[in-house]
Amino acid sequence: MAVSLIAIDYSRPIQPIFLHEPRVGTVHSVFNKVTNITFDETLLSLLSDELPRMPNSVRLRSVVADKLLPNLKPGMEVCVGSYTLVIPTCNFSFHLSRTPLWEPRPDVNSYQWNRETVAQHTRLLTQFLAKKQHQGGLAPLVGPLFLEQPLQETPLSRMAMPNLRLLAQASWRQNIEGIEEATRGLAGLGPGLTPSGDDVLGGFAAIMALLSTQLSADSISRKHIASKIAAVAKPRTTKLSGILLEFASLGEVSEQFGMLLLTLMLPAEEFGTVLRAADRVLAFGASSGSDTLLGMVLGLRALESEID
Amino acid sequence: MVIRALLKPNTYYDSITLMSVAQAAKDLSGVEDIGAVMATEVNLELLLNANLMPAAFLAEQQAPPGSEDLLIVVRAIDDAHAEAALAVAEERLTSRGDRGTPSRGETLPARSLEMALKRDEAANLAVISVAGEHAWLEAEQALRYGMHVFLFSDNVPVEQEKRLKALAISKGLLLMGPDCGTAIINGIGLGFSNVVSRGSIGIVGASGTGMQQIICLIAAAGMGISQAIGTGGRDLSEAIGGVMMRRGLELLANDEQTEVIVLVSKPPAERVAREILAATQIMKPVVVVFLGVDPERFASVSGNTHMARTLTEGAELAVSLAGGDRRRVPGKDALNRYDLPKEHTKLASSQRFIRALYSGGTLCDEAMLLLNEQLGPIASNIPLRPEWALAPGETFRGHTALDLGSDEFTRGRPHPMIDPTISLQYLASAADDPQTAVILLDIVLGFCAQQNPASVYSPAIVQAREKARFAGRSLPVIISLCGTEGDPQRLSIQRTALEAAGAMVYESNEIAARAATLLVSDALHQA
Repeated sequence: MAVSLIAIDYSRPIQPIFLHEPRVGTVHSVFNKVTNITFDETLLSLLSDELPRMPNSVRLRSVVADKLLPNLKPGMEVCVGSYTLVIPTCNFSFHLSRTPLWEPRPDVNSYQWNRETVAQHTRLLTQFLAKKQHQGGLAPLVGPLFLEQPLQETPLSRMAMPNLRLLAQASWRQNIEGIEEATRGLAGLGPGLTPSGDDVLGGFAAIMALLSTQLSADSISRKHIASKIAAVAKPRTTKLSGILLEFASLGEVSEQFGMLLLTLMLPAEEFGTVLRAADRVLAFGASSGSDTLLGMVLGLRALESEID
Repeated sequence: MVIRALLKPNTYYDSITLMSVAQAAKDLSGVEDIGAVMATEVNLELLLNANLMPAAFLAEQQAPPGSEDLLIVVRAIDDAHAEAALAVAEERLTSRGDRGTPSRGETLPARSLEMALKRDEAANLAVISVAGEHAWLEAEQALRYGMHVFLFSDNVPVEQEKRLKALAISKGLLLMGPDCGTAIINGIGLGFSNVVSRGSIGIVGASGTGMQQIICLIAAAGMGISQAIGTGGRDLSEAIGGVMMRRGLELLANDEQTEVIVLVSKPPAERVAREILAATQIMKPVVVVFLGVDPERFASVSGNTHMARTLTEGAELAVSLAGGDRRRVPGKDALNRYDLPKEHTKLASSQRFIRALYSGGTLCDEAMLLLNEQLGPIASNIPLRPEWALAPGETFRGHTALDLGSDEFTRGRPHPMIDPTISLQYLASAADDPQTAVILLDIVLGFCAQQNPASVYSPAIVQAREKARFAGRSLPVIISLCGTEGDPQRLSIQRTALEAAGAMVYESNEIAARAATLLVSDALHQA
């Protein structure tokens, strides 16, 4: 029996895929609450509504996702276009003609940004990240980077540390060669489908794309740095990671990360709200959330002043 | 050493899965290290740096692996172990039918307050035990979520404590802590807590082991506890002003189940003590134990409040006021349980001093106060007077009482209530010292405490006494045993085992201290 449903919402950047004439893609990967579907050079994610929105997501009710996802296998054919997504093997389809669009680019231009307040929040987030226990990833490097804590030497930290410093320093100086070198050292580095280095780059690129004009001490936009990071990283990492980095370079980020960014314009005494938003980011994945937060902190510090 | 690898093209698992699979394989014997990564260029470099590069394996591949391929590499002592580890990794991956996230029904620990709240929206109390000076951040977050907080962590700056308590009060919430060792809320024990039945006596305490002692003595008299609210040890300081003790008192005053209220604290600030005593002038009977404070000093403000000098006296008063039989509290009558005069006669002339080894700070304080009354100065790391402080490197000096649970002893190691290693070391040192007349030590039972303390203390006591005997000395060991029959360790079992090792066991810390005093005092000798 065919199941035909309406999705809850979908992200604005993937709208063109659904406007297009129907095309055939394939199931790329399947998880408990997510499946990724690949089309040519892009990749969209079907999510259960238990998860936060992503810049490439279509969200389904959890009851639907729970029934659909166990039946999917990588390589299955998927037909998308004309506001419809069909998975023939599962007799499953849904329509998006009346489905609301979600905007993954936080509306940062509608707010007044105060550099000193953001700097205070950034320091708080640095401390917050440093005291959390992390399941691997690069977030433990926040202490050695900013709080003069000793570096726990591992092959991963040894490879990442100089490139994290270089990334921040080169961004401050707008040194594109340095950005490229740091990105080459971080893209695809570490475990996971979105390797830790990519998550850091994603957080960093999003800051450059969204807030560099408002927050950099020299008031110069660094959007081009975000684009450069995505361009250099994409061929060097997984497909999903490369695509999420492209979104980040345009300021298109996950729901919880976007909310955290917007809390930075709150007065300093509202730090509790900032930390709650940061907690939501940390809850994402094994280390993706904390790595993204590290990238964000690195980006914000790189806009303040030159990092030693 | 060999390196073996497994390549799974176009295969995707998330980090949680890969880490758990890698850990399972790494735990196998003969496995030195394992890597499970997408085969990106930098990850191959990472494997090289980690001495995990499977060069021969990669050379055999028709095409080099790429960023969409999962590469699992094992370094092991030999081929057999490496292959076994890869087999385990592959089996673990393929058995996870959901491809990469925890299987249905499997629950990962909540890694944030928010995640925990999502799992149980009705939760209204957060237990916070994170290391370091940033515990206040978590506490503030929980309070802002509208949750009461049990803050086990210490090292919270006093100004943060003051701010957090003001926030809690403004929201009608409790902030129990920081450095709050125990509480019993609606029958649920938090931190180091003892198993007691529910009853009509409510306690608010700025002292962890002080509360535990009173609770256990009340339980021994067959009575129960309505609520036990911790406030943190600094609550009655001038800086904090006793805000949480007053809040706890107010809650218990309005609690239908609570008929008698006990307040307990180490010496409070004068102004705060007066304010607290003024607040105790309510309809319900209130017993106050401010250790080290002469009740006469506050006679003008204590009104109807019952002031007790010791924890045992506080428990006796509470039991009596709640309609129980105070004689059932194992107090002064227990002093005759052992033949102390006989023990005294066995001491050699060199044996003149008490060596008290405590894991509970308040119990140590109480013992020092009692010993000092009869014996004069008591050297300590938490001295009653500054001039009685032990010098750096000094272990014992005359009568000595050590709080082995204080920071200088617990830095980088578990609290002695959890791991008694440090207590055993000092027990051996005290036993070796020919000037030691009696060793007085506390053992605290209950949740979070050592699972079977008698199993480690008994052999140590036997050995210490045996060693002293060979040196021509008798060595009495007195134990202040704080616990209940319902505790996981069971009071009677612990008592029996410790007595079998030759120790004298008292459930009242006051009586244990008085027994030790008697053993070294001339009064007993003359008697």
